[in-house]
Amino acid sequence: MEWVTNLKFSEMNTRARRSLVANSLACTGCRTCETICSLIKTGLIMPESARLHIDRYPFEGKFVPNVCHHCSIPYCLKACPAEAIGISAKDGLVLIDKEKCNGCGSCQQACPYGMIVFDEVERRASKCDFCGGHPQCVKACPMNALGIASFQSKELK
Amino acid sequence: MIEKSGGWAGKILRIDVGNRSAEVIQTSHYSEKFLGGLGIAAKIAWDEIAPATGALDPKNKLIFASGPLTGTLVPGSGRMEIIGKSPRTFPEEVVTRSGMGGYWGTDLKYAGYDALILEGEAEAPLYVWISRDRIEFVDAHELWGQDTFSTQKRLKEKYGSKTQVICIGPAGENKSRIAAIVSETSFVSGKSGFGAVMGAKKVKAIAVQGSGGSIHIAHPGRLINLASHYRNLIGYNPMREWTVGYVPSDDHFRFFKKYRTGNASCFGCPLQCFAFIKVPGSDPGQIHCSSYYYMKPSYAYYGESCEGDLALWEAVILCNKLGLCTFEMAGMVPWLKDLFEAGLLTEKTSGLPLSQSGSKEFIQTLLNSIAFREGIGEILAEGTARAANQFSGAWSLYEKYYPAHGQSEHNSVRDFPGIALLWALDSRDPMIDHHAYRHLSVSRQRWPDPYTVSAEKANSISEKIFGSKIAIDHGTYAEKAGTIAYCQNRSAIINSLVLCDWIYPIFISQSREDRMGDTAAESKFLSAVTGKDYGEEELNRIGERIFNLQRATMIREGRTREDDTLHEAYFRKAEIERDTNSEAMGHTNVASDQTRPVPLQIFEEAKETYYEIRGWDKNTGRPTRETLMGLGLNEIAEELTPKEE
Repeated sequence: MEWVTNLKFSEMNTRARRSLVANSLACTGCRTCETICSLIKTGLIMPESARLHIDRYPFEGKFVPNVCHHCSIPYCLKACPAEAIGISAKDGLVLIDKEKCNGCGSCQQACPYGMIVFDEVERRASKCDFCGGHPQCVKACPMNALGIASFQSKELK
Repeated sequence: MIEKSGGWAGKILRIDVGNRSAEVIQTSHYSEKFLGGLGIAAKIAWDEIAPATGALDPKNKLIFASGPLTGTLVPGSGRMEIIGKSPRTFPEEVVTRSGMGGYWGTDLKYAGYDALILEGEAEAPLYVWISRDRIEFVDAHELWGQDTFSTQKRLKEKYGSKTQVICIGPAGENKSRIAAIVSETSFVSGKSGFGAVMGAKKVKAIAVQGSGGSIHIAHPGRLINLASHYRNLIGYNPMREWTVGYVPSDDHFRFFKKYRTGNASCFGCPLQCFAFIKVPGSDPGQIHCSSYYYMKPSYAYYGESCEGDLALWEAVILCNKLGLCTFEMAGMVPWLKDLFEAGLLTEKTSGLPLSQSGSKEFIQTLLNSIAFREGIGEILAEGTARAANQFSGAWSLYEKYYPAHGQSEHNSVRDFPGIALLWALDSRDPMIDHHAYRHLSVSRQRWPDPYTVSAEKANSISEKIFGSKIAIDHGTYAEKAGTIAYCQNRSAIINSLVLCDWIYPIFISQSREDRMGDTAAESKFLSAVTGKDYGEEELNRIGERIFNLQRATMIREGRTREDDTLHEAYFRKAEIERDTNSEAMGHTNVASDQTRPVPLQIFEEAKETYYEIRGWDKNTGRPTRETLMGLGLNEIAEELTPKEE
């Protein structure tokens, strides 16, 4: 896994990156995204292991998809004591190196969006890896409620 | 060790609320022959519910079953089937089915269980909490008496927002025969009165946490490609537009424009066929189809106004909160109005504001009196069919809205021969299982551009699927017997996999110029998920087996050829154009003649042809020994048609 090394805080913040975006008004809460994500990432259908999740509020008619933002300043990255989380040199995505992960769970605690999935048996953390550039959840969503956003790099004034 | 194969979770959970025990059995014991859902549940019902068992008897069971495709990536895989002895069927209580969409069935599967058998009778009200291998029986005194919304909210507060709950309201607690089982605001199993069975067992709710289990998929890549292909093929199914673009009437359109905040769907479904509605002054919730039962009466009473909107909405919400079947109210409301106008029921004797039928006060009084069995509600809680025997002259008015089995009319029974036969041969309203056939033969005429399916295109679809265009011709009973037998087999499959009847079988594709659907979708999905190759023909055969198993169950309960019929009034010309709610629910055929009688003799002949095609005895309607043996239903054949010595 090729990572950008020695990133300064400001460079991390202003890098070009891509992110998943979700439109809660378009979402009907059907959980197709959770299904396909868990199938692709684990080979099993097990929505709790999906790298995104839908919060359903059926009594309010509100369905909120929670997705990984591949944050400008990734809290998960900052929290990882094993340096197992880094920023991909290719496209600015925030990725986990499974080999380096020591299973401490700090990243899960740190992520404000609840986007880290923790495998209790293998003691390893996982997160959205953008399916190598073509997120399958975006493709499968029947409502077109999920999408990809591109952020240009910017110089801070 | 429980073996696991693609598609199935592998285990069936048996819960006895009488002695508060739970045990696990293997799904594979049933799945090879009966797949899942309806098939498995029908077999368990055959094995475990004796014909003499009463619906509210502690010995009755409710089997909640999902199938091998439930909760997989397959579009429209969010439903489950519920089977048990029904208090609702008329004139006798018989074993029948009732489906339910939403998220409970899928989450039961994610907890590790393909099905749940609920049996026994609790000493005091309780609810069941299922979380991985932990099954808890929890005292429900605090929840007893509460409506379905607050029950669910309380349980979600206690166990987390992702908890899925099915529950009953006061109607179920008070064992109304028209009581429903409810999940979220509007996922309802209503038609078979199973809410009363839960009430009799004193089970307020079953809550499940959808984690701990997983579903193995034999060919993930194939499944992903198939799902994407069929999602596109289904395309703009007009049912999707029911709540967005295509609406049955101007009234709906206006209502949506004012109050629709968005749409909602069952698990994994691209159709989003529920509109989410917020009307000031009442709870928000989802709405669809039969929930519009009060639209015509309320607009007739108030005119098109905010009061009218609120009254029709309150009618939906209150039904769902009290746990009553909206489809029943679609028949009962106009029936009560007729009784009042005919002078057979007065405001004084009934305690209902009958002169204000259509008002908010009327529907609130009516629904509450039924749910709590107060005043005339004591009689009406038995359902319109049974109540109609309580007033002199009430039966003939009842027959205006109810074709058979004590269930209110759903689609044009008089107008369409195939639908009349489907009604006669079932133990409940069959049309919930035959939307694909109905759409091809009836409602496509109403679809606006660009969804129209021209007669020419519909005919060529019919020729490809049924071998003839007569199969969808309104004017004749010819070739209907074979057509509906095919459709029944297909629906048995769909209810066993379990997929949604609104999508499958795919007869019509809106994304193709020729509108030609693809009937091989189910077998392709099942093959990809399980890893075992199922051909379309093989699947049809399994459907035939499951359908015959249901028929055998009916026969064992005493069903005869004479019972395969409609109420008498349907064989006579209707005197007036009936003012049912069919139109508000989008059920009427635009070109229909709703006064047309079902031609008795031709109808009976078509039945005979049907029995022959089925391999049933022509005079009794019983499946023959050869038929049952040929379908691999040997033990059923032995019991139903013992070999003569």
